Amino acid sequence: MSVLEVRNLSKRFGNLVAVRDISLSVASGELRAVIGPNGAGKTTFFNLISGFLAPSAGSILFDGRDVIAVPPHRRVGLGMARTFQITEIFPELTVFENIRIVTEVAAGYRLRPWLSAAEKAEVRRRIEETLPLAALSGKADRLVGELAHGDQRAAEIAMALALKPRLLLLDEPTAGMGDQETYEITQLIRRLHQDRKLTIVLIEHDMRVVFHLADRITVLDQGSFLAEGTPQEIAANEAVQTAYLGQAA
Amino acid sequence: MLQLIFFNVTNGLIIGAFYALMAIGLSLILNLSGVINFAHGGFLVIGGYLAYALTPRLGFWGALIVAPFLTALIGFAVERLLIRRLYGRDPLYSLLLTFGLAFIIEDGTRQIWGANGLPFSVPAALTSPLSYQFFFITGYRMFMVAMVAVVVALLFVLLRYTRIGVRIRAGTLDLETVAALGVNVRALRSLNFAVGIFLAGLAGVLAAGQIGLEPTMGDALLMPSFIAIIVGGVGSLTGTLLGGLLIGVASGLTAVIFPSASEAVIYVMMAIVLLVRPRGLLGEEGMLT
Amino acid sequence: MTAGEYRRVVVLAAIWAALIFAPYWMPVFGGYTALGSRVLVLGLGAMALNFLLGFTGVLSFGHAAWFGLGAYACGLTLKFIIPSTPLGLLAGTLVGGVAGALLGALLVRRRGVYFAMVTIAFGQVFYYIAFQWSSVTGGDDGLRGFARQPLDFSLFQIDLLHSDLAFYYFVLVCFAVVVAVMALILRSPFGRTMIAIRENERRARFLGIPIELHIWIAFTLSCFFMAFAGGLYALLNNFADPRVLHYSLSGDFVIMAVMGGMRMFWGPLLGAVVFVVLQDYLSSLTVNWMSFIGVLIVLIVLFFPRGILGLIRQRRTA
Repeated sequence: MSVLEVRNLSKRFGNLVAVRDISLSVASGELRAVIGPNGAGKTTFFNLISGFLAPSAGSILFDGRDVIAVPPHRRVGLGMARTFQITEIFPELTVFENIRIVTEVAAGYRLRPWLSAAEKAEVRRRIEETLPLAALSGKADRLVGELAHGDQRAAEIAMALALKPRLLLLDEPTAGMGDQETYEITQLIRRLHQDRKLTIVLIEHDMRVVFHLADRITVLDQGSFLAEGTPQEIAANEAVQTAYLGQAA
Repeated sequence: MLQLIFFNVTNGLIIGAFYALMAIGLSLILNLSGVINFAHGGFLVIGGYLAYALTPRLGFWGALIVAPFLTALIGFAVERLLIRRLYGRDPLYSLLLTFGLAFIIEDGTRQIWGANGLPFSVPAALTSPLSYQFFFITGYRMFMVAMVAVVVALLFVLLRYTRIGVRIRAGTLDLETVAALGVNVRALRSLNFAVGIFLAGLAGVLAAGQIGLEPTMGDALLMPSFIAIIVGGVGSLTGTLLGGLLIGVASGLTAVIFPSASEAVIYVMMAIVLLVRPRGLLGEEGMLT
Repeated sequence: MTAGEYRRVVVLAAIWAALIFAPYWMPVFGGYTALGSRVLVLGLGAMALNFLLGFTGVLSFGHAAWFGLGAYACGLTLKFIIPSTPLGLLAGTLVGGVAGALLGALLVRRRGVYFAMVTIAFGQVFYYIAFQWSSVTGGDDGLRGFARQPLDFSLFQIDLLHSDLAFYYFVLVCFAVVVAVMALILRSPFGRTMIAIRENERRARFLGIPIELHIWIAFTLSCFFMAFAGGLYALLNNFADPRVLHYSLSGDFVIMAVMGGMRMFWGPLLGAVVFVVLQDYLSSLTVNWMSFIGVLIVLIVLFFPRGILGLIRQRRTA
């Protein structure tokens, strides 16, 4: 059964069609990459799925439920978590506190003036479960704002994981990173996918990352669907090559 | 009764024009620099006292022209030396800084000119009533309103038709884009700040002729100016003008029925506007946050 | 215990020891007990403001309104309704807090400078009411004709009026209770959502935190704390005048918080100590104390925006 089902999704800004009639289906446990040349509409597409933009037409089904009318912060509650291209964290707090806030909100404790000892222990247990997933166990007491860029991104992914998502949306997870950091984040996403069987949709520029990670790849070009397939199929697809080469030329 | 209402509406319009003059200066600075200028009342006081000091040498008319320019010059220096350092920081800091400046200006004025009120005389031609029937409309009041009208009209024309004016208006909407187009935003903000202070200085001279001089005379005008901006809608100068006139008339009318509430009514108006139309009468949606 | 926890315990012990023994060590430095009470009450106000300013990141520049409402309601209760210190305080807290909650609902959608501007303007409403409605409030002359009453424990009574020392300890106990409540809230899941909003509102919203609701709750709590401090202030002076409602006092509270260090729990108290003592000292020394305070504010803003405690912490980590 598919976790995410997108049907005939379109988004217009005035006369400009940013996303035109796109459909795709992401199966449970799948890692799907969405790629395309600049201006292909990837980010718009992502913002439509996570609810930051309202589509002009089409539907989005999450776990079989139509979520078009659900605002972004409620989609989080349904199990859809995302990261951002520009890392969105709480900079002056430690890694531990960043994840604690998310864990407590996810547990429905946000208005609680206190927690019982059992609840506190449960929150702590969950944080300690989340930290190693993002390889942050040794850095729990560091201020997130003072971490290296790659670790900040890992912290942001950890925050998304603390929401216990059924679908993880990653917006250019390796944007602005060096080779070493890119490698580490790629390994992290790979572990989440293979060990935790998490369903992941990511947008990415770095083709090494995409071909290394993805089960299937969806290619967009100028807002429209261009191709979909396994990494091998996409690599061999002429239309895709033309789109990328055409842009490079 | 009818004459009483007429008196108070006229009076309200005059006061409202005055609020608007203050508020437009505040609004200019708030829109382009994101600074709530708490010292605006202080600059009004500076304008008034400078005119007082200049009158013996330049006469009323000379002082009326020179004092606002000198005030603007002081404002320009303050922006260059102090306020400029706070752009891009939490608005808390510029608010506090101007709050501190207001203290310094009030105390400095008291030090130089004394704590007691001083009279400020205007030419006799302006003081006589226009007619026996409308005894309450003195020439000076009409003159004040005319001055405000001319200056505000001139400002609006400058903002609309000059290159710098267009840049100021564009900067209000989207400063980053204006900077990206190669406009010197720092210089633009300094100039804009000086223009705002010029209006405060002018308000000071005009007020001095009506109510005399006192180191704290700016206090009573600062709050109504804030409210004029909120009622008119943050981000809109036309809104600020409208807001100032409206609260002036409202307090004038209230004075007929319930004199002690004439000041409270402007707050009630603000509450109603915030309830019914949170962004203000002419405010832009995007200006809310 | 880690080094950090150890240091925290030592600092806390030092703060409370200094407060408990203040009436005995202050005279050495020329202080007096009533000044100590004044510092505590205004310090509590600054901490109440900072609960919102420093921990939710919302700039209210009109908090004197809630402080002053607390003061007037406490004074009026003692004068006209019932001569009881605890009930006066209770009435003050409720009136200021409920008024804050109602107006807060109008304000929470605004942010930054516009929030500040609207809070300033609304704060002045109460100033004008107190000023104009002289038959009840005493107008410009202030509200007189009430005095703090002895605390009645049926077995024995504590006279707060004639003993500055007894009143100081009464204030200290009140201070301790409110500060403890604040600290508990800030360490709770709700308190952490406040800090999350301060740190990154966009992120917090996307976590599913309804920002407006949480800011409103933080604002309301802050108003209740503020009104309680205001009630104590009326008891301190046996008097209340419209200046306790004026935006100048709001500004003073903001300065105390910034001067001490608004990211730090105890910062505003330290700021209040410095500010109140300095004001007391300067106004006895020179008629130009306002200029000195003004220059001090400008210097703090330009050179020590993180306040005294922020500076100390920076030194330590550097």
